[in-house]
Amino acid sequence: MRRLSYPALVAPAALVLVATPAFAEEGGPVNLLAPSGGLMFWTLLIFVALMLILSRYAFKPLLAAVEAREAALEETIAKAKADREAAAALLAEQQAGLAKSRAEAQAMIAEGRSAGEKLRAELLEQGKSQQAEFLERARRDLSNEKDRAIAEIRKEAVELAIKGAARVIERNLDDAGNRQLVESYLATVGTRR
Amino acid sequence: MIAARPLSRMLAAALAALSLASLPARAQEHGAPTPAAEHADIITPHITDSRHLELPYWKPPFAVEVELPHWTPVHVGGFELDLSPTKHVVMLLLAATLVGLMLVLVARAHVRHTRESGHPRGAAAGIEAMVLYMRNEVIVPNVGPHGNAFVPFLLSLFFFILAANLLGLIPYGATATGNISVTATLALMTFFVVEIAGIRAQGWGYLNTFIYWPHDMGLVMRIPMSLIISPIELVGKIARPFALAIRLFANMTAGHIVVLAFISLIFFFSSLLSIAPFLMAIAIMMLELFVAFLQAFIFTLLASVFIGLVREAHH
Repeated sequence: MRRLSYPALVAPAALVLVATPAFAEEGGPVNLLAPSGGLMFWTLLIFVALMLILSRYAFKPLLAAVEAREAALEETIAKAKADREAAAALLAEQQAGLAKSRAEAQAMIAEGRSAGEKLRAELLEQGKSQQAEFLERARRDLSNEKDRAIAEIRKEAVELAIKGAARVIERNLDDAGNRQLVESYLATVGTRR
Repeated sequence: MIAARPLSRMLAAALAALSLASLPARAQEHGAPTPAAEHADIITPHITDSRHLELPYWKPPFAVEVELPHWTPVHVGGFELDLSPTKHVVMLLLAATLVGLMLVLVARAHVRHTRESGHPRGAAAGIEAMVLYMRNEVIVPNVGPHGNAFVPFLLSLFFFILAANLLGLIPYGATATGNISVTATLALMTFFVVEIAGIRAQGWGYLNTFIYWPHDMGLVMRIPMSLIISPIELVGKIARPFALAIRLFANMTAGHIVVLAFISLIFFFSSLLSIAPFLMAIAIMMLELFVAFLQAFIFTLLASVFIGLVREAHH
């Protein structure tokens, strides 16, 4: 401002030299291009006064406020940019963590699945072998039982036969007819076998 | 003037409001509306300076003439300088007062708004947009580095010329910027600002802006070239303020002559045909409104360009 008012203040001296106070006379032909020294002086005075007032009380505070606002705006923008970068970094970090845990989960699932498969196969195998064993044992028991039962039946039959025979023998040992009977019985036993 | 049909009488009454700016001058000279046939120059008094001021008045012809004070001329050196206020001095003072008041108040509102809500509102925002446009798009790019130092001068120039231009468009107003003395003063001031800015920016190099001295030529060629080109450079330098002064003066004067001619035609026809010049007068007034802004802008733009040119001129 100070630099500018100086050339502006130099101007009046030159103006006074240049201006010829030729006021358009009323009545005669009007010369629109005739300069008027008084008007030039007033123009200069009014303009310089206006400029001094405006630059001091209007443009200075206005532009200062604008610059302050621009600075604040730039600061806000810079802060927003920093915030955004921080947020982006955070996001990337979280995404990386997420990906990592997802991979871990995947690995765990895969592991669990393979373990389960293995276990199932093992259990299946075990079940099969156990079943076979049970079957085998049952079969063996059955056959043992059958053998035992047969032996028992035979023993019983022999005892019964012996008892029957003893009774018969006790009562009719001397009877010739009985003797014949026994003989014939024995004959039938013998044939039955 | 006296209309035969009611319609044209109503039209004339409506137009009287529009043409108030031109009517008073005419009415005061002749007392009452005169027939168009009688010779009466209503245009010249309107565009030239005078020692009277026309003020609004409630009775027809709705204007009174006020005689401005007459002071004895002062003598500066051998010159006689008449410092009596004229119509254009009053208009310049009014323009400066309006601009000063408005911009100072707007700047205060701007500071207050910015403090309260972080941004200006209403008129402050509008003026801020104009100021910032002029500063960021016109002044700083054209003036170049450290252009901010010239911002107050050029902005004042813009708003002052704009207000003076606009004052000529309202009733009872007069276009001070349609006076060659005013535009010449502004142009001369701009010239001095430009040249002093050149001297300050370039030091002795400033001489190169009007003395042509080509270093890449032999001395034999250099002297005649300098003798031929230097006057041209000098004329170019001096032509700039002339162009500034004449451009503003001629634009404002011509626009007003056209508007006044159309308004005169309205009364000259005094019939339904008056609608045509009426519409034309409105259209030209719109154009004048635009020209008022345009010429203020161009003056400021060219001043910025000249300052920028002289500061970086290297031949």
